[in-house]
Amino acid sequence: MSKVVMQTRIRLARNLKKYPFPIRLNTAGKNKVCEDIINAVKNCNSPLSRELDVLYVKDLTEAQRISLVEQHLASPEFMSDSAGRALILSKDKTMSIMINEEDHIRLQILYKDLSLEQAYDTADKLDTLLDENLDFAFDKKLGYITQCPTNLGTGMRASVMLHLPALKSSKAIGRIAGNLSKLGLTIRGAYGEGTEPEGAMYQLSNQVTLGISEKAAIENLKNITQQLVSQELQAQKRMSESLETQDKICRSLGILRTAKLISCKEALELLSNVRFGINSGIIEGVDLETVDSLFGEIQPATMIVNKNEKISPTQRDKLRAEILNDRLKG
Amino acid sequence: MVIIMKCQKCGKNEANTHVKRVINGEFEEYHLCSECAKDMGYSNMFSDFSTSFTDDFNSLFGSFFENALPARTQATRCETCGTSYNDIARTGMMGCADCYDVFADRILPTIRRIHGNTTHMGKNSPSYKKIEFEEKPDEEKDDELNKLKDELETAIKNQEFEKAAVLRDKIKEKEDNNE
Repeated sequence: MSKVVMQTRIRLARNLKKYPFPIRLNTAGKNKVCEDIINAVKNCNSPLSRELDVLYVKDLTEAQRISLVEQHLASPEFMSDSAGRALILSKDKTMSIMINEEDHIRLQILYKDLSLEQAYDTADKLDTLLDENLDFAFDKKLGYITQCPTNLGTGMRASVMLHLPALKSSKAIGRIAGNLSKLGLTIRGAYGEGTEPEGAMYQLSNQVTLGISEKAAIENLKNITQQLVSQELQAQKRMSESLETQDKICRSLGILRTAKLISCKEALELLSNVRFGINSGIIEGVDLETVDSLFGEIQPATMIVNKNEKISPTQRDKLRAEILNDRLKG
Repeated sequence: MVIIMKCQKCGKNEANTHVKRVINGEFEEYHLCSECAKDMGYSNMFSDFSTSFTDDFNSLFGSFFENALPARTQATRCETCGTSYNDIARTGMMGCADCYDVFADRILPTIRRIHGNTTHMGKNSPSYKKIEFEEKPDEEKDDELNKLKDELETAIKNQEFEKAAVLRDKIKEKEDNNE
C-alpha cells in the first residue's frame, strides 16, 4: 500500500456554541476563543495534552508559516491572516488544531500510509474529550454546525495523499477525476498551485459531509483508494517494461545525484520518477523512506526554516542540490 | 436501472444542476450539465443568493415575496451576531449557529444542493446527547414542530408560498408557546 498511499489525514470542523463564528469575531473575541480552546486541550487528558506546542501565528516568521503549510500542518488560508489565530501541534506532528481558521476548531490527525480508521479513531476520541469541556455547536438535523454550509453534518474531511506517476503520465487521471465527483469524492494536486500537480502527488478526499456517517464516508474513500492503487500499480507494471521509462527513471536519479542547482519543481518531478523506479524494481539501493522524506525537505520555506537563516532563491537551488546529492548518493 | 438525465441545453452531458426560477409569474425548471450551468451563470453553489442575483431578484420580485412570505423571512439581521442575509450571500459564510435557524428557509435549499440532503447521519455531539436526555418530556412537542418544519421546507422547495406562509405562522406560534 505504502507504495502508492503516502499519508492519511482526518480533519474535523467544530465550533464553540457560545461564540459567533470567526468571521463575526474581532481580534479580542478570537483571542478569547484561543484561550478557551488551549486551556481545554491542556486539561482534557488526551495524548495531545501531554506533549504540545502552541504557536501563535502572529509570532511566526513568514518562512515558518509557509513551512507549516508545506508540511500539511496548516492551510494557506489559516496562515494568510495572523490576528487571533493559533496552532496547537503535538511534538510528533500527528495531531494539530488550527484555531480560528474558517471554524473555531479544525482538528487534524495525520498518519503515514493508509490508516483511515486509526486516524478517525484518534480524532473521534480527542473530539469527544474536547466537546465535554467546550460544548460544541450541534443540531440534531444539521449535525455539527460550521461557518460554511459545505462542512455541515460530520464536519469531517478525510483524505489520502497518493503518488500516481503512471496514471498521471498516461493521462488516465483526468478521466478518473471526472468520475470521482459522482461518488462524492474529489481529487487535486498535493503540491504546487498550478493546475499540473507537482511530483504526481494527489490528495483524494470526501466532498459530502451531510447525510453520510463518518464510517460510511471513510469506507467509501477507502474503497476508491484501493481501486486507484491497484490501477496505478498495474499501469506502473506496464510502463516499467518500456526502455524509455527505465531510461527516464535512471536519468532522473543521475541528475538528483549530480546536479549543482535545482528548482523545487524539477526536484519534485525527478523524485517522483525515482520513487516510481524504486517501487517497480528499476532502482535498487535507494531507500523509499529517504525519498519520501525528501519531498517535504526540499520545499522552499522548510529549507529556510531548517537552515535557520534567510537564503536567496539561487542559494536555495544550490543548497537543494547539495541535500539531494548527499542523501541519494550511491 | 439508473436513468441519467441529459442536459437540456447541450443534450450531451449528464445533467447535474437543477435550476428553478420564476419569470413573470411563470415557473420554469431546467436540468443542466455543469458546463452549461456555468455558461448561464449558475456555476457558484451560492449562485441563487449571490449579491447581484439577489439584488435583481429583490428589485423585480421583492413585492411578490413580501406578500407571499411571512415576516420572519424578512428578518434582515440575526439577533445573536448581527449578520444580515446579504452578508451570507456575499461571503458564503454564516455568522453564528443561530443564523441557521434565522435564515433556515433560504439556506436549506442551498444545503440540499451542496450535500444532496439535509439530515445528519453519524456522530452525535456528547453535549447534545446530554441535553436530549434532560429534555425528554418535551420530545413529543418537538416532534410535531419538526414535522411542521419539514413540511415548510418541502413547501418552499416546491415554491408553494401560500402554504409556506401558513406553516410559518403555525411554527412561530408553537415556538412562542414553548418559550
